[in-house]
Amino acid sequence: MSLIKWTEEDGRVRLGLPSDLDLPMAQPLLDSLRAGLAASADVTVQADQVERISAACVQALVVAARDAAERGAAFTVAAPSEVLSEACEDLGLAAWLKEWSGESRA
Amino acid sequence: MPVDDLSRFKQTYFDESAELLAVAEAGLLRLAPGGVDMDEVNAIFRAVHSIKGGGGAFGFGELVAFAHEFETVMDGVRNADIPVTTGLVDTLIRANDVLAQMLSYAADGTEAPAGTTDDTVAALRRFLGKADPAPGAAAPPPEPAALLPDDEDDEAGIFGDALAAIQAARDDRPAAALPGAIPDGKVRWTIVFRPKAELLLSGNEPTYMLRALRRLGEAEIVCHLDRLPSLRDLDAELLHLSWTVTLLADAGVDRARIDDVFEFVADDCDIRISAEAPPPAVIPPAEAVSANAAPANLPEPAAPTAAPAAPPAATTSSPSGPPPGGAKPKANGNGGDHAGPTTHTIRVDLDKIDRLVNMVGEMVITQAMIAEHLRDLPPGQFQELREGLEGLAQHTRELRESVMSIRAQPVSSVFSRMPRLVRECAAATGKEVMLVTSGETTEVDKTVVENLVDPLTHMIRNSIDHGLEGPDERERIGKPRAGTVHLSAAHRSGRIVIEVTDDGRGINRAKVLSKAIEKGLVQPGASLSDEEIDHLIFLPGFSTADQVSNLSGRGVGMDVVRRNISSLGGRIGVYSAPGEGSRFVLSLPLTLAVLDGMVISVGEERFVLPLTNIVESLRPKPADLHGLVNKCDVMMARGEYVRLVHLHRLFGIPRAIDDATRGLVVLVETEDGSRLGLVVDEVLGQQQVVIKSLEANFRRLDGVAAATILGDGRVALILDVAGLREMSRHSGTTTTAPTTTSALPALQDQADQRQRQPV
Repeated sequence: MSLIKWTEEDGRVRLGLPSDLDLPMAQPLLDSLRAGLAASADVTVQADQVERISAACVQALVVAARDAAERGAAFTVAAPSEVLSEACEDLGLAAWLKEWSGESRA
Repeated sequence: MPVDDLSRFKQTYFDESAELLAVAEAGLLRLAPGGVDMDEVNAIFRAVHSIKGGGGAFGFGELVAFAHEFETVMDGVRNADIPVTTGLVDTLIRANDVLAQMLSYAADGTEAPAGTTDDTVAALRRFLGKADPAPGAAAPPPEPAALLPDDEDDEAGIFGDALAAIQAARDDRPAAALPGAIPDGKVRWTIVFRPKAELLLSGNEPTYMLRALRRLGEAEIVCHLDRLPSLRDLDAELLHLSWTVTLLADAGVDRARIDDVFEFVADDCDIRISAEAPPPAVIPPAEAVSANAAPANLPEPAAPTAAPAAPPAATTSSPSGPPPGGAKPKANGNGGDHAGPTTHTIRVDLDKIDRLVNMVGEMVITQAMIAEHLRDLPPGQFQELREGLEGLAQHTRELRESVMSIRAQPVSSVFSRMPRLVRECAAATGKEVMLVTSGETTEVDKTVVENLVDPLTHMIRNSIDHGLEGPDERERIGKPRAGTVHLSAAHRSGRIVIEVTDDGRGINRAKVLSKAIEKGLVQPGASLSDEEIDHLIFLPGFSTADQVSNLSGRGVGMDVVRRNISSLGGRIGVYSAPGEGSRFVLSLPLTLAVLDGMVISVGEERFVLPLTNIVESLRPKPADLHGLVNKCDVMMARGEYVRLVHLHRLFGIPRAIDDATRGLVVLVETEDGSRLGLVVDEVLGQQQVVIKSLEANFRRLDGVAAATILGDGRVALILDVAGLREMSRHSGTTTTAPTTTSALPALQDQADQRQRQPV
């Protein structure tokens, strides 16, 4: 069972994504993102473990990123795994990922 | 694919148009002045619009012209320009009928007689505030724009498959090209992929589809985020992304390769595909026009309005097809959404399903045979084989249920026709009628559903014509002016029970009886119970209406209803209370293919009793048995006298056990709740049996519903419990003339009825 790992440090929230982010994980992921953004103005999603991802989960990340931008919170998709990068490329979101991943922000 | 092959898609178009017409009609019937439901109005508009769009694809000019008139008025209703009045609804209903007519002319390949649509068109135009310039003239063709594709065509989104196929056919040669930087030998495809929100729920993953597209050539994928809801409103499993893919592919990549990518999601998304090839694909103007005009609602020519929120992609070159002006932008209450049916369906030839049903039936028999042989094996051995076969038995059962469910359809397809009928009957009789339906989702075998239409139509007509009183009379006797007809369906002990109930005057028994005597159906002076009199209405040629009315008196009597129902393996009963109304109860088998049965033996013979009829089996004590002189044996079971039926006497089977105390009595119950004790030798065991029609292979036999093949290869008859009860009455009584006995078993039931009363 893969779980989203929640850590909080100095008011910053870090969500460790599990390896398997298929459709049933979309709701837990969305809940975590909502909670994270509610709890902190600086949320990092650690994405190096992702080995499988559904478009629903990518969509949740996209919406969360937009929400964070709207309220001026910091949001980072840190160290996206190859699988996540590929999925984003397939979905026409390569530029989006680049914008929000650690690459261009850290 | 040659364009000639398109003809086979016509059938799909007609089938689907029929469904759309039904949708439109149902919507129109619910349309009433006052509370206008805009969703309903939109649904009607979409239905008509889709019929028009599809008709355009096949070049049914007149049909399209008429649909256009119809649609224009609906559009007025939609935009609240035209107020909903009773007159409008009547005209629209008439327009729907005319559209159905036009479709049937188109289906037959015949021209509609001149002037078919004139009156209706004139009536429709009156609502637009336009005078019809020449009432006698045929409807002028709609402005060309109406024939051209617009992005809202196929509003209901249901012609997707057929139209995509037509598109593929026409796409074999890439459409006229616009100049663009396309390398020689390449084709640039523009694919707008707009999935429905539910796409993911069916296990589809857009990532893989887009990846597959990328493999076909150089792809540029633009993801549209404009429809994403806020973080708070997002439903995690619904998809709000859509894409525009610009694919530069070799000429070898044809339309079919692209279609393949979306093969499994065609119903779950809106896909528009257009192609551009490098120049010299010169197409004569005329042909170009027809290629554009005909596929009126094809996914193809993506007028800019089609692409969701005009992608910010300069790479998405302007597509071929008519200029933007050709597509008439319309106010759309749906915000451009394709609100098609959300269920995902596939049309399958009924023959294929029947073959499948048959094969599953054979498999059930084979499985039963193997199970039978297994019993002969020494106990305690071959444990794994036994377990495997148990698993097989279970899977066979599940397979059977799944296959049967393919044939199952909700009765709503029949029920939905009734509001129209009620409306017409009410108008014809001047009565006020309210139709209440319930249990529309109850599912039953397709054959049963199809054959329900006529009996139900007749029963409802009958209820309104004979049952309900006129509004004034109702008021006088303290009832609401409007009578109520209640149509309901429900599953009950493995059968479907359909009831038609009215709150009218009930059956006029004195009238029925005198009519029956007058017609010689009942001997004068015969004393009949209320129930028996009520059942007289099922006699052939029986009609109580003083004057043959337009409605019920069409030469089709309740006897035909009863015959139709019993040919489906069903039964009909009537219950009536004077002044309060009557209730007709139909009971039908859910499926006509397989049933759970109990195998019993009588002498050397084997019979199958439907499990749903069986209450219990027991061996009576001598003290429980009572003989009635000149009648039959009865048995005391659970404080109730039950008539005993010796199967061997009924069927003339030798060497069977006659003494119930030495054999067994299987207590069975019919749909109307009456019980019967069948005297048998032995109960052999429960088994699923495949129903083989006796009528189709031999002929109908009293007391026998069908036949089956048992595991050992023997043919066994499936007993019809209600039939047995009727047979046993005949054999036990001497009062009624034989000519009427077969037609009127209820008459012999009097004594029987009394016996069955609890004492």
